[in-house]
Amino acid sequence: MSERSSSTSTYLLVPIVLIALLLGTAAIRNPSLVSLSGFGSAIIVAAPLTMATYALMSLAVAGRGTVDLAVGPLMAFINVSIVKLNMLGVVTGPFGVFFVALGLGVLYQLLFALIVIWVRVQPIIVALSGFLALSGINLVILPRPGGMAPEWMGSWGLGTTIFSPVLLIVLIATAGWLLFTLTPFYANLRMMGYDERAAWTSGVRINVVRVGAHVIAGLFAGLGAICYTALIASGDPTQGTTMTLTAVTALVLGGVSLSGGRGGVTGALLGALNLYLIGFVLATFNFGAIQAFVTQMSYGIILVLSLLLTLLVPVIGRHISFISPWGAFLVLGAVVVGIMLQVATSGTYLPAEPVAGAAQGPLMTRYLLEVPMAGAGIGIAPLSPIQKAAFIAALGLVVLVFTARLINAESRARRMGLFLYVLVAVLIIALFAVVAAQGHSTLLDGGAP
Amino acid sequence: MTDATEQDREPRPGLIPIPRSTAMVWVNLAITIIIAAIGFGVGFGQGVKAQDVIIGTLISLAVTLWLLNYVVVIFEMRAATRSLSATERKGEVRGLWQRNRALIISMGLLLLAYLIVTASVPEFRSVTNLIAFLVLELILLFAFKVSGYFASGRSAFIGLIVLGALIIISSFTIEGFLSGPNVKAILLFAAFLGIACVGQTLVALMGGLDLSIPFVIGSANIGLLFLISLGVPSFVALLFVLVIGGLIGLVNGLLTFKLQGQALILTLGMGFAVAGLTQILTSIGSAFGGNVFGTVPPWLQNLAAMNGTTFGLAFPPTILIWIVLAIIVIIGLRWSAYGRYVYALGGNRRSAKLIGVSELKYWTLAYVISGVFSALTGSLLLGWSGGGFIGVGDPYLFTTLAAVVIGGTSLMGGYGGYGFTVIGVLVLQVLSSFLIGIGLKYEWQQFIFGLLILPMVALYGRAPHIRAQV
Repeated sequence: MSERSSSTSTYLLVPIVLIALLLGTAAIRNPSLVSLSGFGSAIIVAAPLTMATYALMSLAVAGRGTVDLAVGPLMAFINVSIVKLNMLGVVTGPFGVFFVALGLGVLYQLLFALIVIWVRVQPIIVALSGFLALSGINLVILPRPGGMAPEWMGSWGLGTTIFSPVLLIVLIATAGWLLFTLTPFYANLRMMGYDERAAWTSGVRINVVRVGAHVIAGLFAGLGAICYTALIASGDPTQGTTMTLTAVTALVLGGVSLSGGRGGVTGALLGALNLYLIGFVLATFNFGAIQAFVTQMSYGIILVLSLLLTLLVPVIGRHISFISPWGAFLVLGAVVVGIMLQVATSGTYLPAEPVAGAAQGPLMTRYLLEVPMAGAGIGIAPLSPIQKAAFIAALGLVVLVFTARLINAESRARRMGLFLYVLVAVLIIALFAVVAAQGHSTLLDGGAP
Repeated sequence: MTDATEQDREPRPGLIPIPRSTAMVWVNLAITIIIAAIGFGVGFGQGVKAQDVIIGTLISLAVTLWLLNYVVVIFEMRAATRSLSATERKGEVRGLWQRNRALIISMGLLLLAYLIVTASVPEFRSVTNLIAFLVLELILLFAFKVSGYFASGRSAFIGLIVLGALIIISSFTIEGFLSGPNVKAILLFAAFLGIACVGQTLVALMGGLDLSIPFVIGSANIGLLFLISLGVPSFVALLFVLVIGGLIGLVNGLLTFKLQGQALILTLGMGFAVAGLTQILTSIGSAFGGNVFGTVPPWLQNLAAMNGTTFGLAFPPTILIWIVLAIIVIIGLRWSAYGRYVYALGGNRRSAKLIGVSELKYWTLAYVISGVFSALTGSLLLGWSGGGFIGVGDPYLFTTLAAVVIGGTSLMGGYGGYGFTVIGVLVLQVLSSFLIGIGLKYEWQQFIFGLLILPMVALYGRAPHIRAQV
């Protein structure tokens, strides 16, 4: 065990590789993703799914095969409650709305936990019961999609900028979970999820821990409902089932074990982003009338495949234990950032010469870029100083990481998590800075000359 | 241990049970006559034919008397064995409270709710509501006290009581509830649900789950119509659809066997993939994405439509198919080697393997059966509706699970059976018919279904405390 310090998060390799592939493809297929509005709308669309996945994740870690099928209907329930209360004029202010949303989420999950603990029925049955009851009551509260979100939420869902309140919610939730993992409570939670009997025998107060996990899930569900309300700016009682199914898919895609004890916010986040990107990439291929079916089928196949891949995780861990998931994340991240920058700016510095694309025939223009890369060249010459700086910084980071990794392997240190978190954060902030500094007009016009 | 063996050896009641105490015989007779008289009066009140009323009264008289006597005899036997072994006793009042607190609390809550509603809503004060309230209290009493004496068939017993109570309440409150068409409709929908539940029951008996059922139903529905519209002979098309359903089940079974404990997600993913693929295949070359148009052959329509006839009798053959299927499955699970092995695997995987039961074979076969019967349900639903629609299976996503759970089959495996599921299916359908009858919309039905599952399961499906598991 001590020889393979990276084996605890080997399961993250799959989602990391997948997200790099998807992000690269998405950027190439549709360059408008790499812009302020592209990122902004991506964050806003993916945020509810991410939050739902977080909620499922915190329950899955708690074990007993807890998959809260009701998470979708719960978010829809909070959504329609907010909208209904807003329309009635009872709760309109931000504090009230947040209070109602988080309160309802926590209340439901508390009930769930108490039933599981005291009535001692299987969590799946409680979840099933909650699913049916909430889907029913949602339609009673709001018979059809409609209504108005609170007015102050109006600008949240526009997605014209990256730094929207929705991003703040996601960041706070993520950071909150990461801070939570530092507490002993989290250790108890994982222990309970891994082996409840062992945890009980060694003195963990499993009832308290279980209630805690559910309360956290309730908070996530409440935040997710707020993001969802901001996204659709109205109430929709019908989307619960879909959201449950996609969130469960994202959870599995993120490598979280449904049998408990394994999983974390990183996996859940990657899973949710992967799922969003799959939809995004598929949308760039124009399938016409059967678009929805292709998406549905791909979700299914990817779900099954990623489950099968989890079988390979131990094998991967045994054979390539020298690859740390974080190292892979940084390398692939640098590559993807490179692709994005190239794609986003290729039009800006191109000499206006679209004839080359036409000569290559329809095949190339359809499956590759709208603007062929030939004009941009491989040289670094057309890069702006900021881009150059970003590339050099990314390269420097990779070198730094591998040096650190080497030192770590030599010294057999237990963990270097914090260091890597900082590096990742710097990388992401650098990307944001570059995109923001590029300015609105050049990037938006750059995609399609 | 000795207690258990003694109880196993205790003599079963005879064909015509007669209680030992004469007082109980008279009490039973009195209850029976009262019930029969109520039925008699209601029958005439609703204007049913006199012969029917008399026959019905006689039958209910006999059946109720037999049931009551049976219960009393069982009580007496248990009491006899219990008094032999009982040595310790707590304080009388405290012990009574200790043993019955759940019952007393729930009955008290129900009484409170009834009184509040009666006091606040004037329209609520009617005889039928009073009867309904009394029946509910009786259900609680039965469910808590009597069911404890039926060690093995407890959930079935509760299910039957709930079913009986539902039928009594609905026939009081809803005009024409027991009329021919309504009963036929209930049975027809129960048949669809019941056929879809065959696989779910088998899979649940081994500790698995199959959530691909609704997607397979929808896919079979549009796939069959698509094949027929292509000109494939309808029997061949049906056979083809069933085989494909079986193949999907096979893949499900193999994958879930490999990935133990992930059945929920895996079957869901397979369902997505199957539904998507079917829609893509059926809409190739068609301008209407996802919609299939065609004419359903008359024999298929007769099979499942409300006005279908079976050998000249005026009920759709689907009901007959379900009944025959239910008998086969129940008998098969109880007496065939396959059925016994399914229970063995669900009860204890390791010991079953050690006595040489092939896990893979039986596990996979259960999923194959599930796939075939889902496809059959989809095909029958095509005959019922007369048009292909992928969403036809959606209501079955959780209803199959709910029916299995309400019936009392444990999702952990090893306990239950198709007979239980039949009861669960009937409870669900009668309840839904009742709710429609009193004018509740679909969403309220769903809400009530959701709330119903928990107490039903809580009555019999509780896990032991963790300190008992270590």
